[in-house]
Amino acid sequence: MSEAETEIVEAGKVSSWLTENGFGHEALEKDHLGVEVIKVDAEFLIPVATALYAYGFNCMQCQGGYDVGPGKELVSFYHLIKVDDNVDKPEEIRVKVFLPRENPTVSSLYWIWKGADWQERETYDMYGIVYEGHPNLKRLLMPEDWIGWPLRKDYISPDFYELQDAY
Amino acid sequence: MGPHHPSTHGVLRLIVTLDGEDVLDCEPVIGYLHRGMEKIAENRTTVMYVPYVSRWDYAAGMFNEAITVNAPEQLADIEVPKRAQYIRVIMLELNRIANHLLWLGPFLADVGAQTPFFYIFREREIIYDLWEAASGSRLINNNYFRVGGVSVDLPYGWIDKCLDFCDYFEPKIDEYEKLITNNPIFRRRVEGIGTITREEAINWSLSGPMLRASGVKWDLRKVDHYECYDDFDWDVQWETGGDCFARYVVRVREMRESVKILRQACAGLPGGPYENLEAKRIAEGKKSKWNDFDYQYVAKKVAPTFKIPAGEHYVRLESGKGELGVFIIGNNNVFPWRFKIRAPDFNNLQILPRLLKGMKVADIVVILGSIDVILGSVDR
Repeated sequence: MSEAETEIVEAGKVSSWLTENGFGHEALEKDHLGVEVIKVDAEFLIPVATALYAYGFNCMQCQGGYDVGPGKELVSFYHLIKVDDNVDKPEEIRVKVFLPRENPTVSSLYWIWKGADWQERETYDMYGIVYEGHPNLKRLLMPEDWIGWPLRKDYISPDFYELQDAY
Repeated sequence: MGPHHPSTHGVLRLIVTLDGEDVLDCEPVIGYLHRGMEKIAENRTTVMYVPYVSRWDYAAGMFNEAITVNAPEQLADIEVPKRAQYIRVIMLELNRIANHLLWLGPFLADVGAQTPFFYIFREREIIYDLWEAASGSRLINNNYFRVGGVSVDLPYGWIDKCLDFCDYFEPKIDEYEKLITNNPIFRRRVEGIGTITREEAINWSLSGPMLRASGVKWDLRKVDHYECYDDFDWDVQWETGGDCFARYVVRVREMRESVKILRQACAGLPGGPYENLEAKRIAEGKKSKWNDFDYQYVAKKVAPTFKIPAGEHYVRLESGKGELGVFIIGNNNVFPWRFKIRAPDFNNLQILPRLLKGMKVADIVVILGSIDVILGSVDR
C-alpha cells in the first residue's frame, strides 16, 4: 500500500479537465477496471460536482460509503456516468470525499442528482455521514431509534444473541 | 398503506396524505426486511456468501449470484470458459423471463385482472423445473454460480428441455398480448399514468425497463459487453411513452428478446449438450480437443481460501429490474473489505413520491406495480 501511495498518479482525462478549469482535487490511482478516481475536499464537493454535471455526467449511478479502518476516515463515494442512447464504453468517474470520523459532514448532492435521495440516506444510516442540505435525512433501513452506525468497522452489535448464553 | 397490504409487493409501507381521492403526498417507509446483507458479506468468503444472495431479489436469484461472483472474479482477472459463459447467459435469460412473468401477473392483479396471475405461474413453473434439474433448487438458493464458471455442467437432456420451453413459451406471449394489451379496461388504467420524462429518469438514477420506457436506449448487456451477449442477435427494447403502459410494453417485448437469446445460446453452446460432449470426450480419450479450456463449465476451480486481491471496482449487470451493481473493495483477504450492493429496485422506488403526487388513490397500486419492486432487494 505504501508503495502505491508514493507513486505519482497520472491524471486522467476528466481530472485534467478539472485542473484546466481550476477545480482543486487530487487524482487517485485508477481502479481495477480503469475508471478514474478523484479525491475532493468536503467543502469543494458542490462546485466540483456541479462542474462534473456540466461536463456531462448526468447520472449518479451509485453512491455509498466505506470505512478506511478503525480510527481512520470515513469515505463517501459517488460513481458518476454519462447515460445516453446506444453508448459504448461510456465515461465514468468515481469521486471520493474523505471525512473525519468524529464529525463526518458533507454537502448533499440531492439538488444536482435526485438519485442521491435514498442512497445518501442509506449511507447516513450505515455510517453516520451527515449530508447537509438533504431534504429528509433520517434512517432508512434501520429502525428510527437505532443507536450506532452498523457498517462502521468499530461497530459492536448490541445484545448480540449467543446460543451458549441461552437459558 | 401497508406494510401488510397485498398490493405493496412485500413489506412496503406508504404514508399517504389524502384529500378525498387525491394524493397530496406520499412517504415510503422501507427497512422491514433489512437483514444487513452488506455486513454479512464482510465476513463471508465468496463461496460461503453465494447461497445468501438469492434472498436479495428473490424473484431473480440467478442475477444476484452472477453479480456476486463477477465482482471478485473480475478483480482477480479470472478468465471464464466460453461454455460456462453460455450456460450463465442461458440461466440469466431464463431468470429474466421468470422475473418479468412474476411482475406481469401481480401487476395485472393490481389493476384488477386475476386471470394472468394463474397463467404466469403455469409458465414460470417450467423455468423452475429446469433450474431444479440443473442446480437442485427452484426459486432461490440455486447456489449455481461459481468464481470462474458454474457449479456443475447441465444434466443430460437439459438443452432439449430448454428448447422445448422456448417453443412452448413463445406462443404464450402472444396469448398474453391478446388477452391484455388491447383490453380497453387495462389501457384506461395504465395509459398516461405515472409518466416519467427522459431527463427525470436519468436524473433519478433509474435503470432497466423504467429507464428504457422513458426513451433511453440503454441496456448494460450492450453497454458493458459482459459475458457473451455480443455473440447473439437481439435488440434493446425501448419506448418513449414513459407511462405505466410503456413499461408494460417494454417488459413483454423483453421476454420475446430473451427467448431469442435463449434459442441462439442453446444452439451455439460450445461443445453442445452435455450428453454429446461427454460421449465425444470418451470416444476421443484424454487428448481430445473437447477437453480444452473453452469447453469446460468452470475454469480452474478456485480454492475455498480464495483471496480477494487488493483493489476496488464497481461491477454491474442488467437484471430483470435494472442495473444490479456491486462496489467491492478487496484487501488481499478471503473476505471483502466492503461489499456495497446497488439494487435496481431500491433506486427505482425513490421516484415513487414524485409520481404519486396529484394522482388518485386507485392509481397508487398501479404506479407502484409498474415499478417492479421486490422488497427483499430494496431492503437487503
